[in-house]
Order: sequence, then structure tokens, then C-alpha cells
Amino acid sequence: MRSKIKTQLLWSKVLALLLVASLMGSCGVSYLVIEGSFPTPNINKIPLSMAIFYDDALREFSYMEYSETGREEINIESGESHIRLFNAVLPAMFEEVIEIEGMDDPMVQEVDAVFSPTIEEFQLALPEKTKLDVYEVWIKYNMRIVDRSGNSLADWVVTSYGKTPTATFLSVEDGINQAAIVALRDLASSFSLNFSQIPEVQGWLNTL
Amino acid sequence: MRVRPVDFSMKIISKLKASIGCIMVTLGVSCTSTTVDEFRQGATSLESDESVVILGRRQASDFETKSDFVECVGERMGEGENAISVIPEREFIDAMFPWFEPRTAPLRAGDLEQLLAEDVVAQKMNEFGIKYMVWVEGFTETTGRTGSISCTVGPGGGGCFGFGTWEDDANFDARVWDVTSLKNVGTINADATGQSYLPALVVPIPLIARVETNACNRLAAQLKDFVNGE
Repeated sequence: MRSKIKTQLLWSKVLALLLVASLMGSCGVSYLVIEGSFPTPNINKIPLSMAIFYDDALREFSYMEYSETGREEINIESGESHIRLFNAVLPAMFEEVIEIEGMDDPMVQEVDAVFSPTIEEFQLALPEKTKLDVYEVWIKYNMRIVDRSGNSLADWVVTSYGKTPTATFLSVEDGINQAAIVALRDLASSFSLNFSQIPEVQGWLNTL
Repeated sequence: MRVRPVDFSMKIISKLKASIGCIMVTLGVSCTSTTVDEFRQGATSLESDESVVILGRRQASDFETKSDFVECVGERMGEGENAISVIPEREFIDAMFPWFEPRTAPLRAGDLEQLLAEDVVAQKMNEFGIKYMVWVEGFTETTGRTGSISCTVGPGGGGCFGFGTWEDDANFDARVWDVTSLKNVGTINADATGQSYLPALVVPIPLIARVETNACNRLAAQLKDFVNGE
């Protein structure tokens, strides 16, 4: 009888510990690195040689999602995935693409222009907050093209959007990752198909 | 003296569970119904070297066609009698990138003309040998959730008790575009409804109405006959 009570007490302690551990675990920040691959665009190349400059803000871009009480909830790192995307898209868009470390790179003198993308805003909508059955990601970019001397040739804003439906066995992290990949593909499609239609870019291309 | 009543009650519970299970399985199966409507706007036929691509519509703001459903329709069309060559959705969209993304995909059959004017797109389409492009759009809605189930866990074990039920309605449209004539040649609608049950007597027993699977099977069978001109 006494041993039975002892066993029950032990079980209760184990359950209490598990409950505390799970509560503590749920209070921590979860880290998510956006992962995915991007296909090469099937488009006609523009006869230009372009240098690409990824600044540290883009390389290390991360977004922190806060809970309704202001607690840090999910940290989303998407810098590397953006670089993978541009590395897949740009060589399909231009005849020649080189990556440079900065405007003082000697390779700058051998190209027609330097392209430098930056992320201005990142927004996330989770089903638990919106009460919709989709994960949504919005990203706002500033695209800049400068000549060899650093003078602005074109400067425009591109927004991208991605969503993915909730599913029974889809974790929050996987849902965000899938929505972000759709948003990145959306960026690639609008950037590659509309590049020549941007008035400033069109004006610059006409001068070449 | 104490053991016998426990054994007896356990036997009754086990028999009760089995009976409820059987009844619910019967109910679950019999409560799913599927309706398929076809609207033909043009003649169709498919040669052995021609193929079909099934694509999901993802432009709507409040829902998007699940890729699992699109994949299911493609797989069913590619098997059995009169099986046809179906290009997997992901393979096609990646090969055609960025022309078939949610924001860039053609919305009307007439838009294909402008798209095929791009030599890179036309070349890829020829490589795939695509005769028909099928756009699937729809979703499954769950309504009428009733009942409740409560579960408890204690040092001596755990269990659930209660009953839940809900209705699923899967409604999908498939629009068939002829890539050669650049016209919409027909629309097929599949609507499947079913009642699901979740009785819980210690262990929850889900009896799910497979509405999406039924809609997929019926839509695929009808599409297969449609593109074959039957």
C-alpha cells in the first residue's frame, strides 16, 4: 500500500516537472532559418553586365515576431535565402553577373551597372492571430541600380507576398517557411518580368 | 471477489466500443455523397505522345487550392484504363518559372496567346508536349461542428470520453484549356459532402468521411474521359 502511494507521488512529481518544462519551453524564442531552393527563371537575357552588391543588412536580415503581450516569439532569418534567390535569378536575367564586396571593388569598372537590393519591411501574419487558415508573409524591397561612379540610375520599390494554407501536421515554423518561399518566388517573378518596364530602368536602357 | 465485476464491466465496455465502432464505420461510409457536373464547350482528343498538366489556382485571398489535391487528381488520371500522361504540377511550374506563379499565371484561356508569344515559354511547352492545361480551383469546408470530448490524464493512466461530429464539403472546379486552340473547352465540377464522427470511449475513434479523396477520384475519372473525348 505504502509503495503504491510512493509510486503515485513519484508519477505526480514527474508530471509536474514535465508540465513546468513544457511551460518554460513555450516561453522561449524559436529560431527559424528560411530554407528552400529556387528554379532558374525561363526568360530572355538582357545584354548587360551587372555587378551585384549584397550589404550586411541584407546578408544578416532577420525579423522578430512578437506575441500579443509583447514577448519575443519567433526570430526569422531570411538573409541567406534572399542571396540564394538573387544568385539564381540574376544570371538568368543578364548576360554577365559578378558579385562585388563594395563600390571600391575594381571589378565595378568592368560592368554596366551595380545592383543593390535592400529589405525595407517584413511582415508576418499567423493563423492564430488573423483567425484565417493561412500563413502570410509580406516583404517590401528597395531595388537600386547605380553606375560605375555610384550615381543612381534607378531606385524603385518591389513588394512580394506569399501564403500557404494551414494543414493538420504542418508546424508553425514549416508554415512560415513555405509562405516565405512563396513570397521570395513572387519577388523573383515580379522583379524578372517587370525589370525592363520600370520607367527609370527603361530610360537608362534606352541610353545604352 | 473484487476482480470479477471489473472483468465483467471491461468485457461490456469492450463489446460496447466494438458495436459503436461498427455502427459509426457504417454511418461514416454511407454518409458521403459526390456529385459531378460536366459542361463541354469544345471537342477534345488526346494522342499517345501528348500530355496534360493539372494546375491549382492560388490567386484567391482567402483560400488556395491545395497542392495535395492537385497531385491526387494528376496521379489518378495517370493510372488505370486509358491512363494519360500527366506532367506533375511542381515540375511544370519550376520549369516554366516565373510564368505560372500566383501573380503571373494566366487567368483566361485567351491570355495563353500572349504567354506563348514568348519563345522560351512556347519552346518549353512543346518540350512537355502539352495539349490540355487543367486549372483546378476549390477547397474543403468544415461546418456544423457539434459535440464535445474531454480527456483526462492522471498517475494511474488517462482516457477520453465524449462524442463529436462535423460535416465536410469539398467543392472543386476544373477548367480545361486547349493549348492549341487557346480556348476553354469545358468545365467539370465535383462536389463531395460527408459527415465525420469522433466517438471517444477511453480512446478516440476517428471516423472521417473521405470527401476530398472521393472528390479527387471522381474528378480525375471524369477529366480522363473528357480529355480522351469520351
